[in-house]
Amino acid sequence: MSATCEFQAKDYKSDLKPIWCPGCGDFSVVQGIYRALAAIGRPPHEIAFVSGIGCSSRIPGYTTAYGFNTIHGRALPIAQGIKLANPDLLVLAAGGDGDGFSIGGGHIAHLVRRNIDITYIVMDNQIYGLTKGQLSPTSQKGRVTCTSRFGSLEQPVNPLLYMLAYGAGFVAQASPTDLVGMAAIIEEAIRFPGFSFVNIQSPCVTYGEEAQQIKGLKAISESLVALGHNPADRLAAMDLAQHYGEKMHLGVFYRNPEPAPTYDGLVRERQALLSKDALPKERILDLFIKK
Amino acid sequence: MPSKGIDFANLSLMDALDLAILVEDEALVRYEDFAAQMDQHRTPDAAKFFRYMAENEAKHGEQLAVRRAELFGSAPPTVSRALIFDIEAPDFDAARAFMSPRQAMQAALASEVKAHAFFVAALPVLKNAEVKALFEELRDEEILHQDLVKVELAKLPPDSGLSDDDFVDEPAAQ
Repeated sequence: MSATCEFQAKDYKSDLKPIWCPGCGDFSVVQGIYRALAAIGRPPHEIAFVSGIGCSSRIPGYTTAYGFNTIHGRALPIAQGIKLANPDLLVLAAGGDGDGFSIGGGHIAHLVRRNIDITYIVMDNQIYGLTKGQLSPTSQKGRVTCTSRFGSLEQPVNPLLYMLAYGAGFVAQASPTDLVGMAAIIEEAIRFPGFSFVNIQSPCVTYGEEAQQIKGLKAISESLVALGHNPADRLAAMDLAQHYGEKMHLGVFYRNPEPAPTYDGLVRERQALLSKDALPKERILDLFIKK
Repeated sequence: MPSKGIDFANLSLMDALDLAILVEDEALVRYEDFAAQMDQHRTPDAAKFFRYMAENEAKHGEQLAVRRAELFGSAPPTVSRALIFDIEAPDFDAARAFMSPRQAMQAALASEVKAHAFFVAALPVLKNAEVKALFEELRDEEILHQDLVKVELAKLPPDSGLSDDDFVDEPAAQ
């Protein structure tokens, strides 16, 4: 880490102007990320920010970090590749609920079980906003959209339970209704040694339901700290996470008090171990040349 | 109260001035963001008004900064932006696509009312007389700011009574 000088939130803000709909919750999320990164103090060139496709996946472009707006649902595999290629980078991945839990849903289990030191931020708005309001994996049952004219018949995915069940070491939820709290949670997630997940209930002002706008979310929000929740208790976290969609619990659901070794750390260790007996680089080609 | 962990009872004058500067700065940045959003969405009249508000916030922030420098020089601040959220800044979701100047002004008026409420709520907790005097001054200024916006609102032609929804199509079936 080469952070010797202090950074301010504005140091992580790029010149690119967000083109989200005015009032979108993602404006608050990007501000929270600026603040968290400033608190961490890593210079922008030591940060890689990877996203998939969707409104929220535009977010890396609005930061001064290295950004990679990848393909739909593939933020996590690419973020893993970046982290393994250069473990010194601080790697963030971000996207929406559709990108993360539908087309990209299969990648979550493997990232979690590997425990690669990546922070994954999902801006969960329960709708496909960029493509004009289709049902998403976190849309509530009964939700009427242009692809569910008579109401959705599907149960929504519960992102918090997903992550906890897979065994993620850090699972939290935040909201644009509390920017300061959100920034603190993102900071804590980044500082966690291993995979960390932050679900942010970020309202879609254009296609989102009235109850899922800022005022509606404020009405159902409850602080986990105020509830006296112990974030070291995984089962209690799973119990609380079941209320996703009915209540908006804000804070850290689960923080593994004994974080498991990270895959990137184990890879480094193995590389160091094997490198003692490794051939010099200039002789490796000889192995492929028939004598 | 939209603040995190401000110890109002033990707030020093320097900290109070620094907080007030941060409050103005937060509002300035938010109005600038809103103006940029309105520019992006081709709503120049609302953008112009938000820029006007940003200039006002910048002016107030500078005035406070001058006072702070006169009283405390370059003493390093002990309060940070993490202590405040949305005190005078309009809410993130106060912006909307195709905002009329009237809607923009109403959003600004609501934020001035919110700021006034913040200072009113803090006053009974304050113990330092100088801080109390400063907060009373800031509280009264918020009334002046509200009046400023009301003057601008009064200059507008009568409201058409139409809603944005009257001009926006429903999402098309896929």
